[in-house]
Amino acid sequence: MKRYRQHSIEFGNLSDVPFWKTAGPIDLVYISYGLLVVLLVFVSYVLGMTGFLPFDPQEINLELLMAPPNTEGHLLGTDFMGRDILARLIIGIQAYFLPGLLAIALALALGTCFGVLAGYWGGGLDTASTYVSNLLNSFPRLVLILLMVAAFKPDIYLVMTVVGITNAPTVASLIKSKIQFLKQKNFIEAATALGLKNAVIIIKHILWHNCRSVLIIQATLGMAEVILIETSLSYLGFGVQEPTPSWGNMVQSGANYFMQGKFWPSTAPAMAILLTIMGFHLLGDSLNNILERKRDQ
Amino acid sequence: MIGVPVLKIENLRTYFYSSSKQAFSRAVDGVNLALEKGETLGIVGESGSGKSVTALSVMGLVTAEPGVITGNIGLKTDGVQKNLLQDIEDYVKITNENGRTVEVSKDNPGWQRHIDRVLRGVRGKEISMIFQNPKLSMNPFSSVGKQIKEAIMLNTSINNAQEARERTLYWLEQVKIDSPRLRYDNNPYGLSGGMCQRAMIAMALSSEPSVLIADEPTTGLDATIQSKIVSLLEELKSSVGVTTLLISHDIDVIKTLSDRVSVMYGGRVLESGPSKEILSAAHNDKHPYTAALLASIPTARQIKAKSYLQAIKGDVLDTINLPSGCLFYARCHQVTEQIKMQCKHQEPELREISSNHNVRCWRFFNA
Amino acid sequence: MTDTILEVQNLKKHYNQNGGLFSAFKGKENVIPAVDDVSFYIKEKETMGLVGETGCGKTTIGRTLLKLIPATSGKIIFNGTDITHLSAAQFRPFRKKIQMIFQDLDAALNPKMRIKAILQEALTVHCRLSDAEIDHRISELLEMVNLKKSKLSNFPNELSGGEKRRVGIARTLAVGARFIVADEPTSALDVSIQAQVVNLLRDLQKELRLSYLFISHDLRVVELVSHKVAVMYLGQIVEMGLAGRIANAPRHPYTAVLWSSLVDKKSDESIKNEGNPNEGQWGVFDFERPNVGCRFAPRCPVYHAKNRPTICTDPATSPQLQKIDDAHQVRCHFPL
Repeated sequence: MKRYRQHSIEFGNLSDVPFWKTAGPIDLVYISYGLLVVLLVFVSYVLGMTGFLPFDPQEINLELLMAPPNTEGHLLGTDFMGRDILARLIIGIQAYFLPGLLAIALALALGTCFGVLAGYWGGGLDTASTYVSNLLNSFPRLVLILLMVAAFKPDIYLVMTVVGITNAPTVASLIKSKIQFLKQKNFIEAATALGLKNAVIIIKHILWHNCRSVLIIQATLGMAEVILIETSLSYLGFGVQEPTPSWGNMVQSGANYFMQGKFWPSTAPAMAILLTIMGFHLLGDSLNNILERKRDQ
Repeated sequence: MIGVPVLKIENLRTYFYSSSKQAFSRAVDGVNLALEKGETLGIVGESGSGKSVTALSVMGLVTAEPGVITGNIGLKTDGVQKNLLQDIEDYVKITNENGRTVEVSKDNPGWQRHIDRVLRGVRGKEISMIFQNPKLSMNPFSSVGKQIKEAIMLNTSINNAQEARERTLYWLEQVKIDSPRLRYDNNPYGLSGGMCQRAMIAMALSSEPSVLIADEPTTGLDATIQSKIVSLLEELKSSVGVTTLLISHDIDVIKTLSDRVSVMYGGRVLESGPSKEILSAAHNDKHPYTAALLASIPTARQIKAKSYLQAIKGDVLDTINLPSGCLFYARCHQVTEQIKMQCKHQEPELREISSNHNVRCWRFFNA
Repeated sequence: MTDTILEVQNLKKHYNQNGGLFSAFKGKENVIPAVDDVSFYIKEKETMGLVGETGCGKTTIGRTLLKLIPATSGKIIFNGTDITHLSAAQFRPFRKKIQMIFQDLDAALNPKMRIKAILQEALTVHCRLSDAEIDHRISELLEMVNLKKSKLSNFPNELSGGEKRRVGIARTLAVGARFIVADEPTSALDVSIQAQVVNLLRDLQKELRLSYLFISHDLRVVELVSHKVAVMYLGQIVEMGLAGRIANAPRHPYTAVLWSSLVDKKSDESIKNEGNPNEGQWGVFDFERPNVGCRFAPRCPVYHAKNRPTICTDPATSPQLQKIDDAHQVRCHFPL
């Protein structure tokens, strides 16, 4: 039995109803969790930048090697050199935060440009951009990054530039298909007939009014992907190098002690990775459900 | 012949639920119709009046939830005699407050399974349907002839493929498709819109149904082809004589083809009776809505005089926020001071004003 | 004397139908003449009706006039200026004067913009206005098209069909249009709303001295609102003349068939039944046999009644639009 209940006799317009009333409850939970993660990451980044930390992440304490959580003020314990894990987790965010934003910005900017070119003008541009995106997609991304790292230097900004460029085709194809969908409804044609310039139509009508939610969602999902790539590379030793902490190299260095029953040095960063990525993914998905909801009429 | 209702719809209510507005859209709200043997009953109404939903409810094809919530649809033919909505109470629970339905619980999957079982042997066999868009209602990958042949073998006593083919050609000829032998092998997309609609009619008739439901059979076709389809349906009416429920927004089509007509508005029947009486401009005693509808179609005289059309003021009805009084009150031009309060606050009943002519309007029975 | 606001000379719009992957080897291109050699003119404060069935090219004409699609050849002269070959930037000032009401109600309005923003945009496309002026103009427009002020904060999908149509009309007026191409303005509306819109368009014409190109498949509505009517069949104008003449005394067999199928479904049985029921070829341009004389011949009751004279099907003698009367032209060898 499914219940349908009329909540009020008189109903106004849908635009007057705030989104949290029409969204599914599970989406709201996900969004709250995702926003919490975003907030934590941001606050931690600021804390790490200002150096407002419980301990110095680089301070070696030979008396407290591999201390379990909650000893002498070390909330998450210490690692094999006696460094505070919590402080290193917080400072680890520095490793991906700015480079990640760079990658996202690059992906969105490039993707939007190509998407608009392909979707709005189409024809040869469409064919060309499809060709480029196929080319980029057909090359394993991790291999490409490793190749770049091997050829130049293990610099995280270089890696993130590559990530940004390789992510652009996904954004481009989304924008392209959105524009092609919008073109079927002919308000774009109507805007042209009104006398609006192409630039106004693209920026105002297409990107701002109809694509911004797509871009926000892509940014959120992009952040999750960036974290994953940064941590994988650092884990493999191609990303951030010791002694600078990154969640990836923390997991790597802690993993050696996992079998000895000392789980915390690797588990703490691993959980951080899991929970953060999950947060960004859930946020992206729920935003997708809410912003792109089909208004049932 | 006439007098025995083949299909009798009583108190049919089909609601849809809008989850974002958290409110019901009362698509069909207490409709009563009786279709007598051999006659053509027209349902005329604008978009959102619930005419198509009524047809889909009969066929058990309502997909939106909760769908049909109450009603009786009695089918009484030579072969079958049953209520197509039997045991609906077991699947639906309705809570009313102040005479309005505020909550509905329905076991939708269970109901769908149940209605599929009830309608087995009815759908396509006893009742067949012509849809608005013939090209979308036929399988695009199979030839027209083959599809009709399959329908014949499934729904009639003919089992022999050769015989079914002959029968198919007979029906294609009946609907005046030229060179049926050639068209037999055409896919729906190889046919023009008008031809495809003819094929669709042939398919619907080929199972020799007791009731034919034609849902907007001419909408979407060009004017010249529309008139050909109408004259085809007119001919078939006299030659085949199938009992038809004809649904259209086009008053001319209804006028030409139907014996009786029901005018729907906002999920209710506002007027029903002989179509000659209701749809002729000369006859005065009719519901203000019907009168206004007739007046808003340009007549030959108006066209020549280039006069203004008599438009109905206001906008089409919002089925979510139904008014409490007469549904047409806000747009009615025949409200007098005398009955104004009644119209505004109390909904009139469908009552007989002359033989077989029922109207839901306070103007005719001032209490 | 009123002046000619728009003149169209020998307008052609041909679409190339790509014959698939191997079309290059076939050595021929399928050209569909969606609009073939169409000429007409519209005077100020005048409505010209354009009638025809699906696929006859009437919408293509409207879109070509607004330069939403380029014309293949021919001339479009607006207010004395040849606008056929203007670039997009050169044509932009003209967009203030020429506007279009789109057939599709939902599609012409940006679904994510509120009605106020839509109208505001139209007001400020071609000129700068202060906020107070904008508010003033918007309330003026709303009054003109009979739209409630409360609807301004709505999104298009919250409006009914009639209201959407009114917003569409208000938008063309906001720009300051003098000439409006109304592409099937009533076909997506309910009967009761259609009449409102038709009346509104006529009121606005009187008030604002507008000129319309009124495109519709419904001959009745076209006859009602238009001063002049052109009937199209497969890309060509087959009959053109003053509205009253077309209604009272159609000379082209196609107009007669169209008219009888609309106005009174019972009358003129003779014309209806003589036509070849071969709907397979109806209304679609058959590029297997381009330019074989009169395009209407296969469906024409006169052609069949006269035992299929060769003059009708001979490419050399395809009928031309001839003046048969004062301001009445017909493309037929045997006008009724």
